Amino acid sequence: MIKLIRFLTAKKSFVLFILLEITSIILIINTHNYAQTKTHSLQTTISGIINSKLSVIENHFKLKEYNKQLLKQNAELLNKWVQPETQKSPLLKEQYGFIPAFVISNQYQFSHNTILINKGRIDGIQPDMGIIAPNGIAGIVQKTSKHFAKALSILNTVTKINVALKNSNYTGFMRWEGQDPNIFSVIDMPVNAQIKVGDTIVTSGVSNIFPKNIPIGKIIDFNTVSGRKSYNIKIQSFTDMSNLGPVYIIKNIYKKEADSLMQDK
Amino acid sequence: MNYNTKHIVLITVFYLLQIIWFNHILLFGKYMPVVFLLPVLWLPLEKNEVTNLLLAFIYGISIDLVSNTGGVFAATSVTIVYLRKIYFFMVKNPMQDIEKFQINKIGFVQRAPYYLTFIFLGQIFVFLFESFHFPLVWHKLPYILVNTLITFIFFTLIDLLFLSTDKQ
Repeated sequence: MIKLIRFLTAKKSFVLFILLEITSIILIINTHNYAQTKTHSLQTTISGIINSKLSVIENHFKLKEYNKQLLKQNAELLNKWVQPETQKSPLLKEQYGFIPAFVISNQYQFSHNTILINKGRIDGIQPDMGIIAPNGIAGIVQKTSKHFAKALSILNTVTKINVALKNSNYTGFMRWEGQDPNIFSVIDMPVNAQIKVGDTIVTSGVSNIFPKNIPIGKIIDFNTVSGRKSYNIKIQSFTDMSNLGPVYIIKNIYKKEADSLMQDK
Repeated sequence: MNYNTKHIVLITVFYLLQIIWFNHILLFGKYMPVVFLLPVLWLPLEKNEVTNLLLAFIYGISIDLVSNTGGVFAATSVTIVYLRKIYFFMVKNPMQDIEKFQINKIGFVQRAPYYLTFIFLGQIFVFLFESFHFPLVWHKLPYILVNTLITFIFFTLIDLLFLSTDKQ
C-alpha cells in the first residue's frame, strides 16, 4: 500500500493524465451512446442553454438570409397546396405534421456531427423524427431533453437515409463519407435506373421518418460498381449544412403503427 | 500579471473566440481552424504539470459543453499538454533546461515547428477521440494537412501580434 502511494505521488502527473483521459473518454462514449443517459441529457440541457444565448447574436446577422430561405420554402409549399399530390389520398394528407424549430448549435467539422435544436420533449419532439431545412433534409432526432433535442446530422458517417431518384421508384441509401460537407454518396441504386448528371435525388418515404419527395441534392457524378448491379453516385446537397437556421421537425402520426407492423414477423 | 491570472485571461479569451467565432466559420467551404489549441501550447513547462493538466482539462471540457462533443476537446487538450514535454525532450537544445521552458523565451524559428507538430497532432486526436476509428482519420488526412497550414497562419498572426520574444 505504501509502495502504491509512493508510486502515485512520484508519478502524480502521469496518474492525473490517465484519470483525466478516462473521464473524457467516458463522456465521449456517453455522447455516442444512442440510449438516453442522464449525463448526456444534462449535457444537452447545458449546451442548449448556452447555445440558445449565443445563437441570438449569430442569428441577428443571418436574419436576411433566413428570411430569403423561408420565403422560398413558403412559395414551394403554396405550390404544393394548390396542386397537392397527397390530396389523392386523405390518409397521406394527414400522415405528417411539421413542428417549426431553430438550430442553436450545428457541428460540421467532425465525422459524427450533431445538431442541437430549441425544441424538446415538452414540444412533442421524440427520437427518430426527421428534420428538414428550407432546402432539404438536415438530420434525424436522436435524443431529447425537456426543452432541447439533439439530432444526428446528415453529416454523420453513421447516418443512412433511404433515398430515391426523383419521379421513379428506384431507391438507394445516402451516406456521408466524412469529407466535403456538401458532397454525399448514394449506394445500392439499381443499374436499371436511367440516371444522368443533374438528376435530383429525393427522400423515398420508405423509412417512415421523412415523407416522400423531399429534395436532397443533384447528381454530380456516378459509376457502376464492378461485380454488383448498382450505381455508386455522388450528389451535391441542396442544403448548406454549415448554415442551418430555421428547420421543421417531422412528426409521422402513423410511425408507431407502421414500425410495429414491420417488426412483427 | 502573475502566471495564473495571465493564463486564465488568455484561456478565457481563446475560449470565447472558439465558441463564438471559430466554431461557426468554414474557410473555403470546409476548413475550420483549430485555434483552441494555442493557449494550451503557450502553457509554460516550468510550472507544476498537475496545474497545467487541470487547466487544460477544464478548458477543453468547457468547449465540449458548448459544442456538445462529450469530452473530445478535453481529451485532446490534456493529451497535448502531456505530449509537449516529450516533444521538448526530443528536440531540446542540450544547453536548455527543459523545466525552464517558456514560449516567449524561444524564437519564432523554434516555435514554428512546435506549432505545426501540435496543430497536426491536435487534429488527429480530435478526429480519433470523436470517432474512435483510425481508418477514418487516415481518410481525413488531406483535410488535416490543409487545415494544419490554415491554422498555422492564424497562430503565426496571433503570435506575431501578441507574443514578444524575450532574449535570455
